[in-house]
Amino acid sequence: MAERGFVAKTTLLIRKDLLVETRARDTLPPMLAFCLTVALLLAFSLPGNAVMQDVVEVPIGTVALADVIAGFLWITILFAGLIGFARTFEVERADGALDALLLVPLDRSGLFAAKALSNLVYIAVVEIVLVPVFTLFFTLELGADWLVLVLVIALVDIGFVAIGTLFASLAAQTRSRELILPVLALPSLVPIFIAAVELTSDLFAGGGLGAVAARGWFGILLLFDLVFVTVGALAFEFAVD
Amino acid sequence: MSSSNASTPGPETRTADSAKVRSLGAAAWASVAVALGMMLFVARVDDFNGPIQKIFYVHVPSAWLAYLSFAIVFVCSIAYLRTESRRWDLLAHSAAEVGVVFTSLVLITGPIWARPIWGTWWQWDARLTSTLVLWLVYVGYLLLRGLSTDPSRSGRLAAVVGIVGFINVPIVHYSVNWWRTLHPVGPTVADPLNNSGFEAPELATFFVALGAFTLLFAWLLSIRVRLGRLADEVEARALAVEGVRDPGPSPRRPPRPAGSET
Repeated sequence: MAERGFVAKTTLLIRKDLLVETRARDTLPPMLAFCLTVALLLAFSLPGNAVMQDVVEVPIGTVALADVIAGFLWITILFAGLIGFARTFEVERADGALDALLLVPLDRSGLFAAKALSNLVYIAVVEIVLVPVFTLFFTLELGADWLVLVLVIALVDIGFVAIGTLFASLAAQTRSRELILPVLALPSLVPIFIAAVELTSDLFAGGGLGAVAARGWFGILLLFDLVFVTVGALAFEFAVD
Repeated sequence: MSSSNASTPGPETRTADSAKVRSLGAAAWASVAVALGMMLFVARVDDFNGPIQKIFYVHVPSAWLAYLSFAIVFVCSIAYLRTESRRWDLLAHSAAEVGVVFTSLVLITGPIWARPIWGTWWQWDARLTSTLVLWLVYVGYLLLRGLSTDPSRSGRLAAVVGIVGFINVPIVHYSVNWWRTLHPVGPTVADPLNNSGFEAPELATFFVALGAFTLLFAWLLSIRVRLGRLADEVEARALAVEGVRDPGPSPRRPPRPAGSET
């Protein structure tokens, strides 16, 4: 058999992960059920007849509901994502196949890319389900801005899976696997969380692309993605070897 | 147990080490006493803030040492991943612990000042927020070390967090700053050096306090490093004794508790 290249081997590993998931279905369905439950619970904290354009009085001034719901959306995505990412190495660990995975004749950055891209698929599926659900639950009217929302989500996801996958490989080697991952990852995700909430709340408030682009939060997202995809690919080697 | 092992420092070295640590401690506490005296009697009471402003002489040096600690964690983590030398790992671990202590001091002294001056214990101000994020990152670092299933690997895992966390500091700082600049609420942090009317007595006090706290930091760090070395030695000796009594691996021997510090 001809020697496969970097991309072909990485693709093979992603196909393996996704194939296992389509047969076992032990990661995505719980992630989806979890995020729907969280969306439901978050709705209970809003006044019953709230509309997106509402402004709510709080002791320190006023809060636009668009900001609150943007926060809801991203909290749900981050929590659901981290629950799923904690299982990144679970198949290999449970079957004692971690050494076999490390024996794949592929640079560690390829292994990192494979695991991160599998996680990207999971989080993308979660978002494809969750965003329409939010649209229904919280009466979002995005109009033509949904394309911008897709762009924001895509940029957040890149940095999110980079950090999530790297830290999942560390968390997998501790006694409290699922618990330590959010503790490690969430503080580091603060910059993309702020950027994501700022950008989406503008969209939800009807600001449109003009108002959003002026903010320049895209710059922070791009910087974060660039830095942590690079750091993740380099540091992964030390995390698993 | 009194016999000295060739691979570990003998009793003489350890005594010399502890004498050095002790004299460093004496110098640190003496200079802290001088700094305290200057805070109380040399630095004048601030016109605007009143006596509470003097917490500045503890707060700012603590913040500087917190950043210094995490910079040490960063550099030692890289050195450890490159060399695999336990020396770097122990220094990174010790600096992280001392750094969390000083970050906690920053987060405690800040609100004590803020309550009378701002009228609130906490503000979602850029500096407060990014300090809290920093504290959480390194608490996670210490938790990870303690929870690792294979103690011999806990240093590598922690080193990755020590590097990622520190690289993230400027991005966190920038994003949090920007977030607050976009939504100003209540008072902003006035740069204490800018509108405090600092003159020679206050500046002198500040620099003496800075030096004293840095000595205190060096002392704490060296105590922690020494403690780590002694713990390593105890473990090495325990293993050696175990090996004499029971040569070769035996299934009857109870497993060592997971997560015990190396």
